[in-house]
Amino acid sequence: MDSAVAQKTWELENNILAAEAPDPSSDSIFHYDEVAQAKFLKDKPWANDPHFFKRVKISALALLKMVVHARSGGTIEVMGLMQGKTDGDAIIVMDAFALPVEGTETRVNAQADAYEYMVDYSQTNKQAGRLENVVGWYHSHPGYGCWLSGIDVSTQMLNQQFQEPFLAVVIDPTRTVSAGKVDIGAFRTYPEGYKPPDDHTSEYQTIPLNKIEDFGVHCKQYYALNITYFKSSLDSHLLDLLWNKYWVNTLSSSPLLGNGDYVAGQISDLAEKLEQAENQLIHSRIGPLGTSRKKEESQLAKITRDSSKITVEQVHGLMSQVLKNILFNSVGQQNRNEQPVSDPMIEA
Amino acid sequence: MASSSSSGLTFKLHPLVIVNISDHYTRVKSQTNPPPLTSTSATVNGVEHQQQAPRVYGCVIGVQRGRTVEIFNNFELLYDPSTHSLDRPFLEKKQELYKKVFPHFYILGWYSTGSDAQESDMHIHKALMDINESPLYVLLNPTINPAQKDLPVTIYESELHVIDGIPQLIFVRSSYTIETVEAERISVDHVAHLKPSDGGSAATQLAAHLTGIHSAIKMLNSRIRVLHHYLVGMQKGDIPCENSLLRQVSSLLRRLPAIESEKFQDDFLMEYNDTLLITYLAMFTNCSSTMNELVDKFNTAYDRHSRRGGRTAFI
Repeated sequence: MDSAVAQKTWELENNILAAEAPDPSSDSIFHYDEVAQAKFLKDKPWANDPHFFKRVKISALALLKMVVHARSGGTIEVMGLMQGKTDGDAIIVMDAFALPVEGTETRVNAQADAYEYMVDYSQTNKQAGRLENVVGWYHSHPGYGCWLSGIDVSTQMLNQQFQEPFLAVVIDPTRTVSAGKVDIGAFRTYPEGYKPPDDHTSEYQTIPLNKIEDFGVHCKQYYALNITYFKSSLDSHLLDLLWNKYWVNTLSSSPLLGNGDYVAGQISDLAEKLEQAENQLIHSRIGPLGTSRKKEESQLAKITRDSSKITVEQVHGLMSQVLKNILFNSVGQQNRNEQPVSDPMIEA
Repeated sequence: MASSSSSGLTFKLHPLVIVNISDHYTRVKSQTNPPPLTSTSATVNGVEHQQQAPRVYGCVIGVQRGRTVEIFNNFELLYDPSTHSLDRPFLEKKQELYKKVFPHFYILGWYSTGSDAQESDMHIHKALMDINESPLYVLLNPTINPAQKDLPVTIYESELHVIDGIPQLIFVRSSYTIETVEAERISVDHVAHLKPSDGGSAATQLAAHLTGIHSAIKMLNSRIRVLHHYLVGMQKGDIPCENSLLRQVSSLLRRLPAIESEKFQDDFLMEYNDTLLITYLAMFTNCSSTMNELVDKFNTAYDRHSRRGGRTAFI
């Protein structure tokens, strides 16, 4: 009973949309209502309110496809498009597909044949029964967090001028694998010259030193949307059954091995940030004590937060290893300690 | 029609394929049976709208390395059941598109939904044989049966059997395993179970991580219990003794302990020490940051007194 109460409170805290028992009407989200969509497109309620879209609903399929594609790129950025529709102040992403574009660093631009690909793919999709339109684009930031770089911001502002409604999604596959939960962010940019009404603080994430300038310059030009996920009743059923075969993978995954490079990179980045913070600290001691003091403090506090995050992930990985060791290795150790008793298995 | 396969190929299926087929089916179903407009009348109308669930068709793509066939992805196909014709240009177009993004994958077979393989499915199968000599047929059963314990996905291969003196192609069932990459596993976990949203305190993250491992271990435990019950029953004589099973169980048990070498112990302890070192460093950083704040606060508190001369700044 206790655990049920605990689960409910936890669900509430984390804003989980619990998938109820298979209810045919809940699958109505998959129905594409052409007339209603066309009307919405004509009305353009977002034209007057830059903050119009507040939520994003991503389908299980779209999430899976995007994460797998992002991860398959390794350390190279990849991009793709998302298809879906709108629903009041929410953008619903039903599906995603990858684009054959090579990205380097912070420059991911769709070239000519990517446009051709897009058109071809949309055509074949319409024939195959997927009627939704392209409603956004996604790309990956392997290892450096979910935010929009300068190029991304300008691309998105262009998109929002000509292809509304449009959404930008960023996925970090490296951090996803390291932390064990999906690192994803959905953004929309403000139009040029618009001042956001309140200085809302987004959730903190650590940005590597070489990207932090790019992040800081543009971070006020866009806002993040709330992401929720949905799946059909058949999806839930299948995923539940999948667990019967899947538990093996959960137990056998070794996060420490896979994330070694990433963790090492993070630690060296932290070391550099510490040096920077130390320099600032020394200089400000001579200068006037006052507001400058607050800045280093917050920088040191940030570094502390980052280091604890990495440590926590590392410790989680170690816990899995220790558990596996106890489960599968301790038998031999026990037998070695006791006197070798006749083993019926071997004798029979 | 479906006996067990003898081709000796091992099949690995990725969860993405399963979710993809399910999505395709749900999509087509909701297009043909438009949902009722108001949710209150849903239960009333839902019962009446029991129309024939449409069958969807598509292609599966992946890689075959030696004897292992790994199915990674899939896409839709246009098929007309009345004329038994496959839309060739569509298939080729789609194939081209997918080749651009995933150059390593090629068509391995096709999929459909339904409860059992049917005679008419052989037509599509034969049509695909000119792309791949022995295509696979993946069948998903979309009816939701709460009592079901196993995935309603079956993989069929085609084999040439002599029936009544005429060599015919029939479907034979094959077994498969679920294969995944780490990222796929995490996102499936994320959508399937309730995972905490971003942020969350260290406590919730720890709880989530340990809960995942706990449920996996619980599964392992229940499977072992089943085996144990079976063996006890065999010992008592309730169940006839089956030697092949006993051999399998004994070989399984002999695989414990999993690794028992010096080198493994060394590596394991080194990893352990590395993690402890990282924790130590993080604690250090935390402490120095707290010290720094303390010193600054102390300075601010006592600075006013020292300005009139006397004690120098206590840094």
